[in-house]
This record gives sequence, C-alpha cells and structure tokens, in this order.
Amino acid sequence: MKLRTAEYFITEVAHSLKRNNWMSIASIGTVAVSLFVFGVFMILVVNVNRMADMLESQVQISVYLEDGVKTADKDALEADIRKMQGIESVKYVDKDEAKARLSERLGDQKYLLDALGGQNPLPDSFEITVTEPSLVETAAQAISRYDGVESVKYGQDVVQHLFDITRLMRIFGVALMLLLAGATIFIISNTIRLTVFARRKEIAIMKYVGATDWFIRWPFLLEGVVLGCIGGVLAALALRSFYAAMAAKIYSTLAFFPLMPQYPFMHIATVCILLSGMVIGAIGSTISLKRFLKV
Amino acid sequence: MIHMKDVSKVYENGTVALDHVNVDIKKGEFVFVVGASGAGKSTFIKMLLREELPTSGDIVVNGFDIVHMKHEAVPYLRRGLGVIFQDYRLLPDKTVFENVAFAMQVIEAPRRLMQRSVNAVLDIVGLREKYKDFPSQLSGGEQQRVAIARAIVNDPAIVIADEPTGNLDPETSWGIMDIFQRINQSGTTIVMATHDKTIVDTMQRRVIAIENGSIVRDEAQGVYGYEA
Repeated sequence: MKLRTAEYFITEVAHSLKRNNWMSIASIGTVAVSLFVFGVFMILVVNVNRMADMLESQVQISVYLEDGVKTADKDALEADIRKMQGIESVKYVDKDEAKARLSERLGDQKYLLDALGGQNPLPDSFEITVTEPSLVETAAQAISRYDGVESVKYGQDVVQHLFDITRLMRIFGVALMLLLAGATIFIISNTIRLTVFARRKEIAIMKYVGATDWFIRWPFLLEGVVLGCIGGVLAALALRSFYAAMAAKIYSTLAFFPLMPQYPFMHIATVCILLSGMVIGAIGSTISLKRFLKV
Repeated sequence: MIHMKDVSKVYENGTVALDHVNVDIKKGEFVFVVGASGAGKSTFIKMLLREELPTSGDIVVNGFDIVHMKHEAVPYLRRGLGVIFQDYRLLPDKTVFENVAFAMQVIEAPRRLMQRSVNAVLDIVGLREKYKDFPSQLSGGEQQRVAIARAIVNDPAIVIADEPTGNLDPETSWGIMDIFQRINQSGTTIVMATHDKTIVDTMQRRVIAIENGSIVRDEAQGVYGYEA
C-alpha cells in the first residue's frame, strides 16, 4: 500500500468517526463495557484457579489405619510411603495424639469427649504432604491399596468445589462474553453501515473510476478496528485500575489470599483485551461490508 | 474498441432489454446511441461498464472480455473508461480540484502526476480558475464539465456518457458537446446515449438507434430519425 493511500484511509476514518460521532461513541462504549466484563471474568477465573491450585498443593493426605496393626507393619508402611514418588513428608499420628488434637479443637465443648468414657475411638494415622498438587490423587489411591489402611482422605471435596466453581465461572463467563461480543459486533456493524450509507455516492464513483474492491473496503475495515481498539484501550485502563484497587483492598484485609501478582498478568490481560477489541471491530465491519457494500 | 456479438439481455421478470445485438465501434469513433426511454439504451451502457452481464452473447470492450473476465479485473476495465452521467455525480463536500483528483487518488496514481493532470483537464473543460469552488457554487453546465474532467483525467480510451445534456439548457449543452468533440479529436472513442434530437441531427455522427432491445438503424452519419 502506498503511503499516500494510507494517508487517505486515515483521513477517511477520522472523517467518518467524526461524522457518526454518536454512533462511534456508542460503539466504543459497548466495546469498552464488554471487554471490561471480559477482563473481570478473566481476573476471577485466573485467581480462583490459582487459589485452587495452591490449596491442592497444600492439601495433606490423611491415611487412617485399621485397629490392631502391628508396629512393625506400621513402620514398613511408612517406609513404603516414603519411597513413593513426590512424597514430601510423612508424619505418624497415634490415636492418643489424635484425641488430644480433637479435644483442643473442640475447645469449650471438650466435655463431649467425656461421654466416651475412657475409650478412644480414633484411629492411628499418617499425615502426608506431596510435592506436586497433581500427585495427591494418585498417591492417595496407591496408599489406600495397602493392607492395614482403613481409609484415605484428602481435601478432595474442597478442591473439587473450587474447580467446580472455576468451571462454572468459565462457562458463565464464556456465555456472557459471547452475548456481549454479539451485541458489540452488532453495534459496530451498524456504525459501519451508517458510514457505508453516508458514503454511498463516493463508493459508486470509486467503482466507476476503477478503484479496486480492497481500496474501497479498507477504510471501513479500519474504522471498525479503530472503534474496537479505542474501546479496548478504555477497558484495559479501567481494568488495570480496578485490579490495582482490588489488590490493595485484598492485601490489607486478607493478606494470605493468593492473589495473582499484577505484573505481568495485567500486561497480558491488556494485550488480550486490545486484540479482542480489534478482532471484534474487524468482524463487525466485515459483516457490514458483506451485507451493504456490493463491490 | 467495442465489439458486441449476438448480445441479449433478459431480466428476471422476463423483460427483454437487448435482443441479439451486434455492434462494432472502432477506435476514435463518436457514436450516439438513441432511442426512447426503456428501449434498451441504459442496458447497452451498463453492459459496456460491466455493471450487468448479458444473458447470452459476447462483449469485448477495450480488450477486456466482459463475459469471461474475473471480478477482480473489473476495476482495470473501468480505468480505461471515462463515465459521465446525467446527474453529474460530484461529491458535494469536495472542491472542483478534489473531485477531479479523486479519480486519480482512488486508483493510486502518483502524486506528482496529479497536480499536472488535474490542471490539464480543468483547462480542457475551461474551469481552471474555479478549482477551489464547491459543486454547489457552480451552474449545472459547470458541474457537468467537472464530471467530464473527472472522466478524462485518467486518460481513458473510451468515454461513455449517459444523457450528459439531459439536465441542461440547449446553449449549455452545446458547450458540453464542444468539449466532447475536442476529446474525440484527440483520439478518444465516445459513446453517448441521448434523447437530444437537435444535437444528434446537427453533429452528423454515427447513430445507433435501439427500439425494443433491437438495433433498428446504424448509420455512419445519422440523424435522430423520429420525434424525441
């Protein structure tokens, strides 16, 4: 493309943005809102995922033993477990310690234990941590097959819940995004349609004097991309300050919360949002060009 | 330059706009296409510009095979044709100079040529001094002259004019015809569809008369032939 032609396209785009100023503002606004919502979902999904990952990695496996297992067998089991892949630590907790812990946890209600009389129904157990979150399940299953193991528990419920939540959020986020993207594409294609309509005489003349189809299409396509890009910039700016504010709030109240660090996460999010804006703009104008610009 | 062989056009509603038309127009000719409204003149012009394709037959315009050419080649066909309409079709928010230069701009002509070519054609149509004016500040005849300047600025081989004097008074029309004559003298082929009996009768050029989609008369030095 010649420099002069690029210059012509840019002036054309600037002209029509000005000419359709209300439509342009509406398009930019829709793009900005949609992409902001998209960004918020991205932040939520990424952070909840991260939280689930962290919890999973911190999850310990509790291996409850059957009553009456011999000490030698327990030692052999412990040795076997230590030899398994990805085991970080193994701690033996006998039933007395378990009872002491339970009574501590009950606090004021420890009288409940008195009802048991002198008996201790709690089993001996091992508390195991693993190096990789993904190893929890396999390790737990492998251990449960040993003789003398009554049951194996790990925080599968909590982790499962968190993953369910992320999945739900993802599905909901994607559905909402599709809807918003649809609306955005619709409004952009309408804006471009207005431009095509405003310039129909010019387009007819261009065709008669032998402008190529792409020469005619470019300014419209560019206009859509510019609308999408400006919307994207606004959304990205809003999102960055939103995340910064949220992070500050969370760090001051919930210091332990494993929030995704702002950078480079926010840079990546910005690039994603800008690209999505431009793609949405391009799709919007392409639809309009297909339907209204018979070249 | 223009070759039509056995060309017919039947529209979807069954109207026969052209019926087995055979025409040969050579380089440098000045041809009037006459006939009543709805006779098929417009369809004839549209075929030359490839705005419409014939239902059957073959057309060659300035070396382009209209029927078999690719869609992507159409702009290049049109760059060799200068088109003028009854309603001028100027862009109201562009000046005279910009309107003419626009035709060069959209085919990405070199910038250094633009100033010179636009001034040259504005000289031909006698509007060099009004280059800054907007179409609304010009008379009908002047606007049509701008349209002519725009049509010839890319140096087309053929100028196609569809009722160019249709909106103008007789005196102004003669001014326009004078410009066409000069363009023709420089070797450009001119095909002009018209209703104007006086012009056709006075100019004594080739006349192709169309009636109900058929060529009923093709005379080297013809007259309009019937009351307009």
